[in-house]
Amino acid sequence: MKQATLRRLISIGMLLVLVVLFTILSGMSFLNSTNLINILRDASVVAIVGVGVTYVIITSGIDLSTGAIMAVVGMVMANVYAYTLWPIPVMLLIGVAVGLVCGLVNGFIVGKLHVPEFIATLATMSIYRSFTYIIAVRDANGVIQSQPMVVRDFTVFGGAMWLGGVIGPFYIVTSAALVFIIVGQIVLKLTHFGTNLYSVGASKKAATLSGISISKTQIIAYVVVGFCAAIGSIFTIARLQSATTSIGLGFEFDPIAAAVIGGVSLAGGSGDVIGMAIGAIFMAALDNGVLKLGVNTAVQYIIKGAVIIAVVIFDAVYKKVMDKRAKARGAGAVPAVETEKGVAA
Amino acid sequence: MSETPILEAKGICKSFSGVKVLQDVHFEVAPGEVHALMGENGAGKSTLIKILTGVYTMDSGQIFWEGQPVQIDSFQDCQKLGVSCIYQELSVIPPLTVAQNVYLGREPMKGPFIDHAKMREMTQQLIDKYEFPLSPDTLVENLGMGQRQLVEILKGLSADAKLLIMDEPTASLSAKESESLFDVIETLRSEGVSIVYISHRLEEVYRLSDRLTILRDGKNVEVLTKDQIVPAKVIETMIGKVVDESAGSRKMLHSDDSAEVRLDVRGLTDATNKYRDINLQVHRGEILGIGGLIGAGRTELVRAIYGVDKAASGEVWLDGKKLDPTPKNSIAAGIGFVPEDRRNQGFIPLLSTVKNVALPNYDIVKMRGRAIDDGDELALGERAIQDVDIRPCDPAKRVGDMSGGNQQKVVLGKWLMRSLNLLIVDEPTAGIDVGAKDEIYSILEDLAKQGVAVIVVSSDLQELIRVSHRIVVMRKGDIVKEFKNEEVTQAMVLAAGQGVESGEGTAA
Repeated sequence: MKQATLRRLISIGMLLVLVVLFTILSGMSFLNSTNLINILRDASVVAIVGVGVTYVIITSGIDLSTGAIMAVVGMVMANVYAYTLWPIPVMLLIGVAVGLVCGLVNGFIVGKLHVPEFIATLATMSIYRSFTYIIAVRDANGVIQSQPMVVRDFTVFGGAMWLGGVIGPFYIVTSAALVFIIVGQIVLKLTHFGTNLYSVGASKKAATLSGISISKTQIIAYVVVGFCAAIGSIFTIARLQSATTSIGLGFEFDPIAAAVIGGVSLAGGSGDVIGMAIGAIFMAALDNGVLKLGVNTAVQYIIKGAVIIAVVIFDAVYKKVMDKRAKARGAGAVPAVETEKGVAA
Repeated sequence: MSETPILEAKGICKSFSGVKVLQDVHFEVAPGEVHALMGENGAGKSTLIKILTGVYTMDSGQIFWEGQPVQIDSFQDCQKLGVSCIYQELSVIPPLTVAQNVYLGREPMKGPFIDHAKMREMTQQLIDKYEFPLSPDTLVENLGMGQRQLVEILKGLSADAKLLIMDEPTASLSAKESESLFDVIETLRSEGVSIVYISHRLEEVYRLSDRLTILRDGKNVEVLTKDQIVPAKVIETMIGKVVDESAGSRKMLHSDDSAEVRLDVRGLTDATNKYRDINLQVHRGEILGIGGLIGAGRTELVRAIYGVDKAASGEVWLDGKKLDPTPKNSIAAGIGFVPEDRRNQGFIPLLSTVKNVALPNYDIVKMRGRAIDDGDELALGERAIQDVDIRPCDPAKRVGDMSGGNQQKVVLGKWLMRSLNLLIVDEPTAGIDVGAKDEIYSILEDLAKQGVAVIVVSSDLQELIRVSHRIVVMRKGDIVKEFKNEEVTQAMVLAAGQGVESGEGTAA
């Protein structure tokens, strides 16, 4: 079986084990349609932002600034809301533009100034977060206020659809996440850009020699993250019905964790969007189940952290075993021939 | 040649931080010829190629394509002209399939999407045409090094280039794979494709090339036509001095079975059957050559003797004492190991010569209290530089920035600082120029004279015969043949490695 397929089955298996475990422990309060729909809702924003983050991780980069980008986007929209009478779609477009600019700045620092991804986005995380406080909506005494943005303020199609609401049984954000995941996966597997992401992640030298522009690929990947984070911010505010400076605080951890759990290697060059989406659902299910069991919410983070370490260790061991097998095959006179149907790689 | 050259480079100059790497170099390739480019490491071959393919920009000079002046600044410029390059450092992307690699950056499109079906079909056609043992859907990460090289070659061929540049294409190919590459080159030549062929392997150049340009110290010293390409002359021109390059056959030297046995390997067997029930002895002062094809289990065997990888069963004895092979124990027992993958396993590229030499020797470097005596450390490094003639003799220079020959001397030098009982060298001169090769051989010979037992694993048959006192040949994990006290030719070693009875008629 192909390595990637096996890894996919393993992450699906992990998710199933988790569902079965929580069902046994907390019964139908976990396994019922309302709760499952809630889990998907919780996973959605992570999955949306995760599309961009997956791209960046595939290039062997990382983005720690996603939570801060969400905060800036939210606070700019809050300002537009508080101080102008512009229509809601305009406010949303401005929010998206801010996200794109934040992503472009990250991409420029990494792709053109060649600052290592980790430190570049750690720095911009701090900068964007600080900027959020500077532009925060304040009352007459200069105290930061959270800006309420109620149901009617997050509607599109002439007020016909509230972004925090539902289509059929599912929340709109879940449908949006589904679109992001499908489009994200198609772009990854079927376009030049997608192939370039893998190439840059696997070997920058080889990619350069094949005429692929490393900096262009990196910049676009970070701009995609900025876009995804802006959309994530819009849905987060639609749900909370207010914009605060604390939006996205600590959020950056989640899409990275989802990607890693879903088999996107931090070393770059492997994994895909669907894997990340499974990881996002896994994380949401874990949060939800632990809460249902009445475990202290503080403990959740310990569990999440432990799961990630376990997955990373597993992947390292697994890779070693697979490499050994590949080597054994590669040395033989007859080439290993594995066929693969449908989407390649 | 009266025809207009397909490519002509005139007066090419290039300096890196003040050092002249290329001086007024002239290079031309006629349509449909195989033009070899030779020179020692550091002669400027790679720089010239990188200028011709737009990776570097020249300081001055002009490039003409089919008689017209052109500017080559990028990969895209090369593609437009029809220049394709197979680089020495593999430029394949492991997580992608063979087909994706072959058409990387030039994927056939259907609307906005890559047409995977068409890409697979096109790749399959190429594979069939050149009869490579590949499948378009295999992930490159599942291929061995030789097959990856074939993918790289296929990538160069897929561009329908008019000029194909090959930089050391056979470096990681087995003899059989090299043969199929030579067939490909013949096919291309008959199709009128021009080829620039860079190789350290002299016999390939003699066999393939129509003309040969030799570079030395950044200047072109000679262009030879086919009938002028005579081995002795080529080597002389290349290194600027006369070298004794012994012929392809040699009588094995004093294999004295009564000499003291230093290394005794008993029934060593690998868990995954890479080598089976290996019994091997190396005597005092003997250089034992291990031949065979790539993948025969040679590297795995010597790694197990040194203890990098564990053998499933069997014993290793040194000077009558049983060893528990781990690198630490082996170093303590006086075993040195020069691995095949020099860059990744042989040395630490970012560290200086001094640090690299000291690395396995901190037990003999003096201490000042709990701290390393850096004076003594430096003295050790300088001694190594002297002993193996590392150039430049700057102890602080990063080993990663040196030429392949000097890097290998650093790797050897660090072992020479200890009192050695056994030295294992895997592919001692892969990618190293002729002059440095000779120096490395004499280092190995000196060690043997001092009584050290030496094991040399090599795919270079000429080298194996040149340096060994005795040769064993491995095939598919077994030792299938031993040559001692007899006349040995490259053909005989090759035949044994491939499992053919007689070596006659088998090309080396």
